[in-house]
Amino acid sequence: MLKRKDLIRDAGLVIPGAIALTMIGAKFAFADDGDFDGPLDVLNYALTLEYLEAEFYRQGNEVGLLDGKAADYLATIQTDEETHVMTLQDTIASLGGTPVPAPQVDFGESFATADSYLETAYTFENLGVQAYLGAAPSLFQEKELLTAAASIFGVEARHAAIIGVLQEKPAEGGVYQGAFETPLARAEVLQAASPFIVSAETL
Amino acid sequence: MHDTHEPPTADPGRAARARRSSKLFGGAPVMQFRTEASRRTFLTGAALIGVGGTFVAATRNDPRAFALSEGDLEILNYALTLEYLEAEFYTQGISGGVLVDRELELVTPIREHEQTHVTGITQLITDLGGTPVESPVFMFPDGTFTDRTMFLEAASMFEELGVDAYHGQVALIEDAEILATAASIAGTESRHAAVVADLLGGDPFPAPFENNLPMEDVLEAAGQFIEG
Repeated sequence: MLKRKDLIRDAGLVIPGAIALTMIGAKFAFADDGDFDGPLDVLNYALTLEYLEAEFYRQGNEVGLLDGKAADYLATIQTDEETHVMTLQDTIASLGGTPVPAPQVDFGESFATADSYLETAYTFENLGVQAYLGAAPSLFQEKELLTAAASIFGVEARHAAIIGVLQEKPAEGGVYQGAFETPLARAEVLQAASPFIVSAETL
Repeated sequence: MHDTHEPPTADPGRAARARRSSKLFGGAPVMQFRTEASRRTFLTGAALIGVGGTFVAATRNDPRAFALSEGDLEILNYALTLEYLEAEFYTQGISGGVLVDRELELVTPIREHEQTHVTGITQLITDLGGTPVESPVFMFPDGTFTDRTMFLEAASMFEELGVDAYHGQVALIEDAEILATAASIAGTESRHAAVVADLLGGDPFPAPFENNLPMEDVLEAAGQFIEG
């Protein structure tokens, strides 16, 4: 597999796209070259985040903080995250890899109120969007995996937007994060998720 | 709200969306190209490859970069045409005053995003040495910008089609940075699609995975709105 540096760092000056991106103003902070050890590592990274989200909604939805449309929406989001977990597990196994076990998690006071539940959900979903986008270049040579990861990424963006709507956040900067989604590198994702993770094999 | 554990390649909403799009305007054309030639360009995805001398000079020692950019330019011009459609649609809708209050607040940034996508993709194509396609002339049926439901249903169709279109190109983009740009736009379109669905009382999460459509299918869906 080509390393990202082969595509970008060494050839970056002759790839005009990079120039145009500066113009667009997207703040691209991709995974560093050393962030991932191949596609299986990326998938296990994604799986860990999906475990985190699925368990978060499982616990949160059990508390019964929400009703009506909000409860319906978060029930669907839970099943989406559970589906992502199963799909990633299956994919890793089918590639001959070993899916990492679920991390031990502690969501603290997230389920104290409906507001705190939604605010933590909002954080997780936007973090998920940024994590997938940040890891995308590491799947660049694996087109099927890339397409699958992108299809999850888009659904995380839907979740993030709708949770912002439920919270009545401002449209721009709340429901939307500008005209372009912004990626996050692995270290930053880990830092953002660390308050909720007691221990994890992969992040 | 939906079945779980569908594989990413599943395409559950496609038939429904095709039905929705054909019903929406009764098959009436909404896009009219300035010239027959530009319409044909859009439909075939051909003749988009205006690779200029600057680009060739910059990349002559990098055959991979040169080779990949032809396909990527085609994809970018395809995306640009869809963004033109969306930008014009929202510009007319918002100036038509079809939405108010929180709905207006939620949809106004969508117009700004689509306009930014047009500007950004146009500049990207130019920087790559390509020639950005012209905007088609769009025609929307009476009522699109005065009837809230009609407007939002059209918005929903365009957003879902846009999401499908971007996801259909993910595996075909050959430049990592262009991929990142397309993906970052696709995520924004997913947010739009979800918000518009919610405003309509529909399902903002129709499936655990985004659909994808190949270029020819998206063009077919759009083609029913193209005159000529």
